[in-house]
Amino acid sequence: MFSVTLRCLGRQVHQQNKSLAPLFTYSKNGLNTEATFDTKPFKLHKLEEGPATTVTLSRQDALKYYKDMQMIRRMETAAGNLYKEKIIRGFCHLYSGQEACCVGMRASMRSYDAVITAYRAHGWTYVMGVDAVGVLAELTGRSSGCARGKGGSMHMYVKNFYGGNGIVGAQQPLGAGIALALKYQGTDGVCLTLYGDGAANQGQLYEAMNMAQLWKLPVIFICENNGYGMGTSVDRASASTAYYTRGDYVPGIWVDGMDVLAVREATRFAIDHCATGKGPMVMEVVTYRYSGHSMSDPGTSYRSRDEIQEVRQTRDPITGFRERMLSSDLATADELKDIDQNVRQVIDDAVKRAKSDKEIGLDELTADIMSNPIDTRVRGVTAFDTLTHKRLGPAVNSP
Amino acid sequence: MASITRFRACDHLLNLNAFRSSFKKNGMPSAFWFHTTPQKFVVELKMPSLSPTMTSGTIVNWHKKEGDTVNPGDVLCEIQTDKAVMAFETEEEGTLAKIFVGDDSHDVQVGSLIALLAEPGEDWKSTTCSDTSKVTSEKANNPPKPNCDVSSLEHQDKKNSKRAMTLGPAVRNLLERYGLSPIAILGSGPRGLLLKGDVLHYIQKENLKPVPIVSPTAESKISLKAIGTEPKKSDLSKGTMKKIQNLTHEQEYQDLELSNMRRTIAKRLTASKTGIPHAYSTINCKVDTVMNLRKKFKNEGIKFSVNDIIIKAVATALDLCPEANVIWQGNELVQPTNVDISVAVATKSGLITPIVTDVLGRGVLEIGDIVRDLAERARVGKLQLHEFQGGSFTISNLGMYGISEFSAIINPPQCAILAVGGSRLELGDDGKPTTVMSATLSYDGEAISPLAAATFMSTLQGLLESPQSLLLGHRSLPE
Repeated sequence: MFSVTLRCLGRQVHQQNKSLAPLFTYSKNGLNTEATFDTKPFKLHKLEEGPATTVTLSRQDALKYYKDMQMIRRMETAAGNLYKEKIIRGFCHLYSGQEACCVGMRASMRSYDAVITAYRAHGWTYVMGVDAVGVLAELTGRSSGCARGKGGSMHMYVKNFYGGNGIVGAQQPLGAGIALALKYQGTDGVCLTLYGDGAANQGQLYEAMNMAQLWKLPVIFICENNGYGMGTSVDRASASTAYYTRGDYVPGIWVDGMDVLAVREATRFAIDHCATGKGPMVMEVVTYRYSGHSMSDPGTSYRSRDEIQEVRQTRDPITGFRERMLSSDLATADELKDIDQNVRQVIDDAVKRAKSDKEIGLDELTADIMSNPIDTRVRGVTAFDTLTHKRLGPAVNSP
Repeated sequence: MASITRFRACDHLLNLNAFRSSFKKNGMPSAFWFHTTPQKFVVELKMPSLSPTMTSGTIVNWHKKEGDTVNPGDVLCEIQTDKAVMAFETEEEGTLAKIFVGDDSHDVQVGSLIALLAEPGEDWKSTTCSDTSKVTSEKANNPPKPNCDVSSLEHQDKKNSKRAMTLGPAVRNLLERYGLSPIAILGSGPRGLLLKGDVLHYIQKENLKPVPIVSPTAESKISLKAIGTEPKKSDLSKGTMKKIQNLTHEQEYQDLELSNMRRTIAKRLTASKTGIPHAYSTINCKVDTVMNLRKKFKNEGIKFSVNDIIIKAVATALDLCPEANVIWQGNELVQPTNVDISVAVATKSGLITPIVTDVLGRGVLEIGDIVRDLAERARVGKLQLHEFQGGSFTISNLGMYGISEFSAIINPPQCAILAVGGSRLELGDDGKPTTVMSATLSYDGEAISPLAAATFMSTLQGLLESPQSLLLGHRSLPE
C-alpha cells in the first residue's frame, strides 16, 4: 500500500512539472475519487465573467456520464439498425455524436428544471428518465414505449421534458412559455430550450427572445450547432455563425459541445444566471452529427466521409472523455469495458422487447388525448360518429 | 474582461501516452465496481433497407474482408437498392468475422443476415451465429438440392442404365415437383419402365409434399435432365458446365436474372404507358445546314455532335413554346423556369437519363462536354441522385444505330419525350439530295394540347433547318 502511494505521489510531482494541473484525490483502491481538468475556453457575449474553466470531476459522476453517453450511442445505433430492418418506420433522427450535450446539461439540471427540444429527442428522453425500452419501443410503436407507441420518434414526453417537437423551431416560443409558467409558479426553475443551427435563423426565436428578455424569463436558449441544418452547412445558411451572440441584448456563451464537462459547467453557470432573475441566456453548444439528418439522408452528399471520420477520431465526446478518465485514474480500462458490455446487454434486451412487445389496440384510439377533458366525446370520421375519450396513463407535465 | 486571461487551453490529451505508460508500468490492481462475466458479443449485420421502398437489393461488393477491423463510420459494402448504389456504413466497432452473402449477390431480402461482426480483440475465426436458421439469404443462394444428387444418380445409373433411359414427361414432371429419384421407385411398365401411376402411388404411400419451387439453378435442372443421357466415365469427374454441353439442343438455356434497376424501369414504363394518354407527332427536318455547319467547324478543329445541336434546339423551342415545357407536380401542371433536358443513355444495367441543366444558358460546346461527362459516368454507375432525377424534357436519340424513327415512352412527371432518328438522304423539292432526319414527340395528351405539340415541333423543325435562328431568342414584347 505504501509503495503504491509513493508511486502515486511521484507521478503527481511528475505531472505537475509538466504544468498539467490535474489534482487528484486518492482512494484506497489506487483509483482517484476526484480529478480536476481544464476545459476549452468559453466565448462570452455581454457577460463580464464566464463559467470556471477548471472543473472538478468525481469518479462516481465520471462513471455515470460515461455510461449515459455510451447508452445513448448504442441506443441510437440500435435505432438506426432497426430502421434499416424496416421495424422502425417514419421519422427517425439520430443523436450519435451529440451525446455530451444532453448528458452534460442534465448533470447540472435540478430536479425541477424543464427541457424542451426539437425532433432529435431520443438522447434527451433517455437522460430525462425514460429507459432504453421506453425509447426503442416507442420508436417501434409498441405498448411499452413511453407514449405507448402512439408518438414515435418526435413525440416522447416525461416529467419536466416537454418533448420532441416535430415542427422546426416551434419549440422556441414554447420554451419561453414554459419558463413563464415556472416563473409564475414561483419556483426558481429554469427551462432549457434547445434548437438546432438551422432553426436558429427563424423569426420566432427572436420574438421569443424579445419577450423573454422583457419579462426576464428563466429560459436558456440553447443552440445545438452540429454544423449542418439538414444538408446545408452553417456557413451557407447563416449570415452570422456566432450563434451565441445572436441574442443581441441577451447574454450568450459559447461551449465546446464535444466535452461533457464544459457543457456541464456552462449549463450550471447559465442556470445560476437565469434562476437569480437576470433573465434569459443564449448558449451555443458546438457539436457534430455522425449520421445523416434523418434516415433518408446518407449524410455524405454535402460533406466528405473523411470529415466525419476525422471528427470521430479527434473530437468524439465518448472517446475523449474515456481518455480523460483513464489518464487521470478515475477508472480502469477494465471497468469501462464492463460498462460497455453492460450497456450492450441492456440495449440488446431492449431491442428484443421493442421487437416483441404488443401494439396497443384500436380501443386506445381516443385514449389520453386530453389530460382533463370537459367534453369526453371525440368526433369520428364524420360528425355523426362519436367516440368516447378515456384516460389510461398518467398525464405527463399536467399542472 | 479580466476573466478572459484565466482561460487556458485544455491540452491534457497531449500527455496521454505518458500517463498510460506509467499506468501500465505500475500495474495497478484493477478495481471492479461491478463485474459481469465477460460475455462474447456478436453483432449480426442484416441486409439494410437503404431506400424507403427497398424490399431486396444486391450486394455489389464488399469493401472489407473477413478478418478486417471495422470502426464506426466505415463503409462495409456497396448495396444496390431499387434506386441507386449506396454505401452501407456501420456504427459498430469490431472485426468482420464472417461474410454470408458475398460480392454480386442478387435479391438479398431486407433483414436477412449478411455478415457477422466480432467484438474487437475477440478471436473472430471462432465466431458463430447464435441462430443459424436466420441465414435465409444463404438458402436463397444455394437452394435445397433435390434428393437425387447428380453423382449418386450417375453412380447408380450404370447399373440401371436401361431403366433410366426412358422417362415419360409426366413422370419427369412429377419427379421434379416432388424432388424424387427415379431409382427409388419400382417401375411396373414393360421392361421395368417407370409409369406415372407408379410415382403417384409412391407419393401417396410415402405421403409426400411437393418441394417448394425454388429459382431453378443450373445444377438442380440438370440433375434430372442428365438422366436421359448416357453418362460417360470421364463425365463423372467434370463439373456441371461440361454437362450443359452434353444436353440436347432443346434443353439448352440459361436463366438471366433481372437487375433491380431493370425491374424498376419496367414498372415505371408500364405505369407510364398505361396511365398517361400518349399522343404522337412526327416531323421531318432537313438538316443539311446543321451538317454543313458541323463539317465547317470540324475542319477548323472545333468538334461537336448533331445531338448537341438538337439539345440546344429543343431547349430553345421549349423556351419559345412554353406550353410544351410543363411537368406534373402532384395533380398540378407547372412550367419550370429553367429548361433542364434529360438525355437517355444506355448503360449495361439499363437506360438512365442524366440531366443537362439550364440548357438555354449554355453553348453547344459546353452542352457537348456535359453530355459526354454524364454519359461516361452513367456507364460506370458513378452518377449522383440529383444528376438523373428531375429534368423537364427528355431526348432519346437512336440515330447513331441507324434507326430511322421510333416513339418513346414518357418519363413522368415529365410530359413529353422526343425520339430522334438517324439522318437519311432523300430527294429534295429542288430535285437535289437532301439530308432528312425524323423526330417523334410523344406527349401527354392531358398536359399538352395537340396544337401546342404541333407548334413546338414546327418551331423545332425551323430551328434545326436554319440553326442560325437559334441566335434570335424571344421578342421582349408581344408583336
